[in-house]
Amino acid sequence: MGAIGCSEFLNRLEQWMEGERPADAEAHVRSCPNCRAVVSDLDAIHETALSMEGADAAPPERIWVSLRVQLEQEGLIRGHERNWVDALRNWIDGALSAVPRPALAGAYLVALIAFSVALAGPGYRKFSATQVTTGSLNAQLNTAERDTVSSMMSADPVVTASLQKNLAIVDNYIALCEKSVQEEPENEIARDYLYEAYRQKADLLAQMTEGGDDR
Amino acid sequence: MSTPASLRNHRAWKTAGVLVPGLLLLSASPALADRLERHFKVEARPVVTIHNPTGTVVVRAWTKSEVMVVAKRATDRVEVDTEQNGNRVEVITRQISDNASPSDVRADFEISVPEDAELQIHNDSGGVNVTNVLGDMNVETIAADVNLEDAAGYLNVKTVDGSFVCLRCAGRIEAYSISGNFRFIDLRSYHVHAQTSEGNILYSGQFLPEGIYQFKNYSGIIEVRFSPADSFDLSATSLKGKVNNEAKLTPSSHRHFLPRFGNALFGTMNTGRAKVELSSFDGTINILKKD
Repeated sequence: MGAIGCSEFLNRLEQWMEGERPADAEAHVRSCPNCRAVVSDLDAIHETALSMEGADAAPPERIWVSLRVQLEQEGLIRGHERNWVDALRNWIDGALSAVPRPALAGAYLVALIAFSVALAGPGYRKFSATQVTTGSLNAQLNTAERDTVSSMMSADPVVTASLQKNLAIVDNYIALCEKSVQEEPENEIARDYLYEAYRQKADLLAQMTEGGDDR
Repeated sequence: MSTPASLRNHRAWKTAGVLVPGLLLLSASPALADRLERHFKVEARPVVTIHNPTGTVVVRAWTKSEVMVVAKRATDRVEVDTEQNGNRVEVITRQISDNASPSDVRADFEISVPEDAELQIHNDSGGVNVTNVLGDMNVETIAADVNLEDAAGYLNVKTVDGSFVCLRCAGRIEAYSISGNFRFIDLRSYHVHAQTSEGNILYSGQFLPEGIYQFKNYSGIIEVRFSPADSFDLSATSLKGKVNNEAKLTPSSHRHFLPRFGNALFGTMNTGRAKVELSSFDGTINILKKD
């Protein structure tokens, strides 16, 4: 059986997550760190979802539509490749269907980060040609930030102030890293720091949501 | 990825929060700063979980096969539940009045545990101090500082802007923060991974053979102090900041790809038995001799 590439693997991602593991796909995951990272993150989300019970919730439709459109506009995917985005969306919808809403926000953001980071990796450069912009991810996170901050109600002003201060810090680093990436698109270190900052922001927003639920 | 783990932890806290009220439920009383004390017999390697949003948590090891919980709550607007389930002891503080101020819901704990206890501590604001506990630890805070002394096991500490000080710790250490400072003093750990965005990181401890020491931040200072006999392979990179080095390094025995961007330093001290990786976005990295 011949080797497959990232694009083909992503097209089969939903089947993979449902347990279909043909030899060529397994070989690809073994050899491709980016796809391995995506699979690992999705496995972690799946595991988390299985450990939770209860509430009905689903990622908002507009986020998926917006995400797909923006990924296309930015050249990260082409029209005929959008099916793997839908497949991923279906899988995440299923995996997270039993997760309570506060936890869902975090898990959803992590899923978003997971494949956005993978898309930005060297293995996916062919999708992005000369540029990998981060507008879609930033827009999604900013939307999540607005929703989270407006709904956050903490009894402890120290905690609220701390979370908001640190969110501003992370936002500042995202801005600095984006500037570096724009000035030096080939700078892998700046890119790594940028996506690390995105991941940190997603984590912090999830923490703010969960904390608000607790208090 | 950190968030799924935090989701699992969140779930654990939620689960703990809906447990049947335990062996102890403080009755509502107007008395301020009342004190409670409870004892739980445990076997080897008990798991002690503490969820206290506001207040200090002090944990010390002792030689008894018993967990002792001493709590002081500020007002009757907060309740403290404790429960033993097998070899697990759970301590949970909950606000029971909607119109309570932060000082009203404060509860301070002094907890004594066997030295092989595993600890899971969640404290938003206040402080966490743990001494002489050798079991695994998972500590999560937002604004609370974390101080561990003579700890061992797998130590996982996560804060938002609380500082983390680890004194004479051993085992495996992982620490994450956004603006918290980290200080690792006189460590004997074989694996230390610490990452903070805005905070400073200080490491002054042993570099054990085959040990891995990874420190990363965006800004701030990363400072590593070494002794002449230390043996490590070093990589230090600051994209926008400086790298200052006092170590006598020979060309690295390991292959490194010199980055095209930033300031980087690679080299081997003595025979390079440990691995030290330092990276910063625009912070300063100092590799300095111990005083």
